[in-house]
Amino acid sequence: MRRTILAAALGVVPVTGMAAPSVTDIVNAHILPRFEALKEASVTLSDAAKADCDPTAEPLRGAYYTAFDAWITASHLRFGPTEVDDRGFALAFWPDSRGTTPRSLANLIAEEDPIASSPDAYADVSIAARGFYALEFLLYDDALMQAGDAAYRCTLVQTVSADIAATTAAIYDDWQTVYADVMQSPGPDAPYRSEEEVLQEMLRALSTGLQFTEESRLGRPLGTFDRPRPSRAEARRSGRSARHVMLSLSSLQDLASRLAADDADLSQSLNAEFDTALEKLDALEDPVFQGVAEPMSRLKVEVIQQAVGTIRETVRADLGPKLGVAAGFNALDGD
Amino acid sequence: MTKPSLGTPIAATAIALALATPGFAASPEEVLDTYSDIAAANYEDSLTTAKQLQEAVNALVSAPSAENLTAARAAWLAARVPYQQTEVFRFGNAIVDDWEGKVNAWPLDEGLIDYVDASYGGPSDENAFAALNVIANPTFTLSGQEVDATTITPALLEDTLQEADGVEANVATGYHAIEFLLWGQDLNGHGSGAGDRPWTDYAMGEDCTNGNCDRRGQYLTAATDLLITDLEYMAGAWAEGGEARTAVMADADAGIASILTGMGSLSYGETAGERMRLGVMLNDPEEEHSCFADNTHNDHYYNGVGIQNVYLGEYIRVDGTLVSGPSLSDLVAETDAALDAEMQAKLGDAVMALSRIKHAAEAGFAYDQMLERGNAAGEALIMGGVNGLIDQTRSIERVIAALGADGISIEGSDSLDNPDAVFQ
Repeated sequence: MRRTILAAALGVVPVTGMAAPSVTDIVNAHILPRFEALKEASVTLSDAAKADCDPTAEPLRGAYYTAFDAWITASHLRFGPTEVDDRGFALAFWPDSRGTTPRSLANLIAEEDPIASSPDAYADVSIAARGFYALEFLLYDDALMQAGDAAYRCTLVQTVSADIAATTAAIYDDWQTVYADVMQSPGPDAPYRSEEEVLQEMLRALSTGLQFTEESRLGRPLGTFDRPRPSRAEARRSGRSARHVMLSLSSLQDLASRLAADDADLSQSLNAEFDTALEKLDALEDPVFQGVAEPMSRLKVEVIQQAVGTIRETVRADLGPKLGVAAGFNALDGD
Repeated sequence: MTKPSLGTPIAATAIALALATPGFAASPEEVLDTYSDIAAANYEDSLTTAKQLQEAVNALVSAPSAENLTAARAAWLAARVPYQQTEVFRFGNAIVDDWEGKVNAWPLDEGLIDYVDASYGGPSDENAFAALNVIANPTFTLSGQEVDATTITPALLEDTLQEADGVEANVATGYHAIEFLLWGQDLNGHGSGAGDRPWTDYAMGEDCTNGNCDRRGQYLTAATDLLITDLEYMAGAWAEGGEARTAVMADADAGIASILTGMGSLSYGETAGERMRLGVMLNDPEEEHSCFADNTHNDHYYNGVGIQNVYLGEYIRVDGTLVSGPSLSDLVAETDAALDAEMQAKLGDAVMALSRIKHAAEAGFAYDQMLERGNAAGEALIMGGVNGLIDQTRSIERVIAALGADGISIEGSDSLDNPDAVFQ
């Protein structure tokens, strides 16, 4: 069969004159620094909670802010070490369309469930009561900030923070000791059989990250014209909704430009599209997308969403074929 | 290395040759014929078993008794066997995906439909109508509109209540609404046991429990009638000349891509992710797919079987006969026999892992017990199924690459290079 011969030939004969994106560069300059920063910021967060667990304490809120930033910046890298033991989910359970996070936290507090006294044991708790989104409720939600017993709440804040620190340390450790090599040594018996499969993983991370920002971070508060849903904006209690769109786009831009590095035209158009989306977001000045309910301000959020859609289309139609891979299936397939 | 020089024309030529060279055991057209035949038989079986459910429901409503409620529940469980196998046709075929919410939407805020336990709570931030209780309220206001529900009809369910206020959890129709009306809420938490609705919820006169038994019977009848209508439409769509069959046959390459999209999306994002892994991670018994009837183990198992069916080109009908023909497996084997063997093994492994959940559940270890915090055996069982499904998705991606159905060479096919496009 000609197809087989062609593929076999391509497998061993490098195509001359075309540089490929460097997996080593992406691992060393994009992935590892993000998980290192996340780990360090999470240690600071856990230390701050130990020093003063008052939800309104400035050092605690500041450390939370920085650590959450670090997560959003790394949150598109949902493969390998982030997927082991449900770590990614344990750091970030959102969207939560059935209100499971506040319900789970309220139950723990009401029952003074002793599991909160140990960060190790806490790893068994529902993901809805773990991670950055659960901690947001404990630090910023009017009801949960003062529910039940103050000492128990304090322990809970400290345990959730320590659990985040443990999870992010495990992710970084696995990246350093195992997975950085795994991505750079594909082979017939390895998790990735070829460099194409490694690149497919990276393309999937990029396209899934864009899809999540377009459909969830922007799409959920937008709802429909007749039924906008400002209360569904991500992390609105801590005022971070628009910031998350900015952080994710900036991080995805870095990944996209590394993947497109050897194609000047594509690189340039992708960069321009990211810049457009980020500029429009910067001009919005609506940190939690409350404007989605008013036609004029709503339009501005829709325009940002369309700009993200444009990037996704370029990634799908141009970057994928350039890399010789399709993004494949992702966790957002389905309902 | 990457192959940027392998631009569209070369790849397209290569795949066209691969798929069109005469003398092979299976042509893409023949594979698509088998696929459509299986879909037609599978939806026909879903319809046949739903009609048996309808008879049982009519008997329950006209002559309420414990026996008739038990018979209706048994008919519902039997009807799920063929239906869950059809879910593999959903993703990748826009005609099916646009329609399936009518028959299998989940999860639902069941308080929309009927009475619920106090622990359920009331309207939520996400859903103002989570506790509407249509059965108890002949008239109510919905998004500013006065609704006359004095007679509960299929049209009321379909046009007014389904996804009321734009909230997906407002599920008024389909298998799971009927399931709730037959079983009621499962209030056992992580304990064993399904919902325990008394048959007297349908009794006439003074025997009626929980009020409005006549309206409850009306609702159950209307929802079942609607299920029949909806399944009739989809069985027809896959029959000779039907629109779903015509669409999938219109372009052989795109048709093959549809099969693979259905397999991959159902394996990964939907069953492994949304329905299985999330439940384990949340330790929430309400995350069960069939949370009222405690039938979740079968839901997942028959999803796995359905995926295997379309790859092997074999389906066992509810009367025991076999529908089979040239398959995707044959097509892959011609290109890469080792990959076909890998794909078959992965599908077999996943079905085995899913059957372990089923075996344990049928022997008394209920799915909601498996979801309990700290239940290591339950978590291992469910994660075995999840890992099997994730693992087979990677092989499905390899099949896509091997057949060249990777979005480079299949012109005009959104379904694989942009999997979400078919859900828009």
